[in-house]
Amino acid sequence: MNAGVRIAALPAVALALVVGVAGVQVAAGGGDFRPLAPADACDDRPGTTSRAEGIAGLTEQLVLRGVDDAACTLGVSREALTLELAQQDEPTDAQVDALRDGLRTAVGELAEEDLLPPSSSLVDEALDGADINRFLAAGIRALPDSVIDDALPTEDVLTRAVDELDVRAILSDLDDADALRDEVEPAVMQAVRDELLDRLRNLV
Amino acid sequence: MGLLLTVTVGLVLADSAIVTLALPEMLQELDASVAQVAWVLISYNLVLGALAVPAALRRVRAHPRALAAIGIAVFAGASAWCAAAPTIEVLIAARCVQALGGAFALVGALELLVARMGERRGVAAWVTAGVVGTAAGPVAGGLLTEAISWQAIFIAQVPFAALAVPAALLVREPVPADGPADGPVEEPDVAHRPVVGHNVTLGLLSAALTAALFLLVLLLVEGWRHSPALAALTVSVIPVAALVARPLARWLQPPPDVEVAAGCLLVAGGLVGLALPPSADLIWTVAPQALIGLGLGLSVDQLTYRAMEGRRPRARHAAWTISSRHLGVVVGLAILTPVFTADLLDAEEPATEAIASLVIDAPLQPDDKIALARALGAELTGQRGQVPELSGAFASLDVAPEDRAAVDDLEGDLDDQLDRAVSLAFRDSYLVGAGLALAAMVTVGAGAVVRTARDRPRPADLGVAR
Repeated sequence: MNAGVRIAALPAVALALVVGVAGVQVAAGGGDFRPLAPADACDDRPGTTSRAEGIAGLTEQLVLRGVDDAACTLGVSREALTLELAQQDEPTDAQVDALRDGLRTAVGELAEEDLLPPSSSLVDEALDGADINRFLAAGIRALPDSVIDDALPTEDVLTRAVDELDVRAILSDLDDADALRDEVEPAVMQAVRDELLDRLRNLV
Repeated sequence: MGLLLTVTVGLVLADSAIVTLALPEMLQELDASVAQVAWVLISYNLVLGALAVPAALRRVRAHPRALAAIGIAVFAGASAWCAAAPTIEVLIAARCVQALGGAFALVGALELLVARMGERRGVAAWVTAGVVGTAAGPVAGGLLTEAISWQAIFIAQVPFAALAVPAALLVREPVPADGPADGPVEEPDVAHRPVVGHNVTLGLLSAALTAALFLLVLLLVEGWRHSPALAALTVSVIPVAALVARPLARWLQPPPDVEVAAGCLLVAGGLVGLALPPSADLIWTVAPQALIGLGLGLSVDQLTYRAMEGRRPRARHAAWTISSRHLGVVVGLAILTPVFTADLLDAEEPATEAIASLVIDAPLQPDDKIALARALGAELTGQRGQVPELSGAFASLDVAPEDRAAVDDLEGDLDDQLDRAVSLAFRDSYLVGAGLALAAMVTVGAGAVVRTARDRPRPADLGVAR
């Protein structure tokens, strides 16, 4: 073997092996093996397919969209905001305001996309869990769905419910599904009641 | 006798990395912190690196039989003490004593192997035992830890070392022609200076190899949550590939500097490969490890030979190579540990956010998501400071049978996110290791230039008149 080959052969083999191995690793996605990066909260996100139905399903959709909007307002990711809220003892005023605005925006978006259920379905479910006079509940139930749907546009009921919600209390109950339900359902019921009263006052 | 001494040399050098796969078990059993457990590695390498050269002082090496026998006996006793250590502090102290005995054992064993096998074969046996021991240490330690316990690593060394003590005493010491029949070994009274270039290269390369020998096993066991036995089998690629290096070098016959430089390049390339795994599948570590093993086999023994070649006293120059290698490991640990621990802490946030994202979007009932989030939060908080095991959170989840498949998918996805976060946390350390290997390659080139300039005949030598 001549001197030139002796000098060049091993480095050439070594270089070929290094380039080959690194090339295969990179081509197979080696540079991208990193944790899922949170999406920009201000970008449109494909809707989550909720497994829940009724108020629970609607609440989930509203909360997910609302948190996204609040995160966008606060300039953080949805995940970062969720973790911050879960880990903080007390949410800041800015977070509470952003969340309430986010929920209002979410109601508007779902209405625009025609994804809100008729209010009669919400009213039935809210009545089941509400602590109200039996006769009043029976009276409301006696109303035909079409009357309720005409009298109570879902968007208005939900917007009012969002205004009624005690966002701080909800955030302190984030890890307790029952407590959350206890916060949301009375707020929806209160909104239904207030909306009905408003409509009656307008009629009178 | 020669075999026992060779095995002892391999054991002393294997001890540098042999406990790597046992560290998680030690951490748990001895109720130690990560920093304390790191000292089980650092203390041994530091003491061995610091004492190797003093152990080769003239007065000491003049009596290689006694030197080797006492050193091996201390090493054996300290190994037994390591196995019996009830606390991490005692274990660290025992490791220091083990390294002290190891330093004397290495220097004495070299002289005895040369006396028994001749200069060329004795040095070759000593160097080869060191390379094989270094490369195979983590494998042996992992298998013993998995099969028995971390204590077994130390207990298994005792009988070999204990048998090597009489073996050392039975070797006939070389006697100078004009010396007394049972007198001490006397080498020609020449003292060459240590070869700075080769020893610096050896130190840098050892620091780089720290990333492969220590961090890789840590990634496999603690990061990707494989058993020590599987991790040991995986890292056995390195010693196997190191064995291929010699035939390859014989076939291509490169000049020594070129061989070492190519070895450094292969180590650097292997570390880059480890920094870029496409997934947490073990298969992706095989080719990078093969490069590292090949590089180690081409460079470490060649550098050791060249740092000792034709230099006297032989034992002192051998000791310089030991010192360079083990202080290199300490430097490697000192550089890489803060990088890796800081990156692991930094990985916590993206990992948690990725987990939150997947849980939020999971096709599960809202109540189940809330219950899972609460359980995951508890697991993450309870296991802070280590790569969390999330299966506990899923085990406590009570979901409808039709949602079980979605839950299982989610668990797989979350584990994948953890693998991704951990792999990313190791990336910078591997790249720093690759940088150290490239720095070692640069020193080879610089050394070659200096030697060429030094050896070039001066005009006066050629009789050229100005």
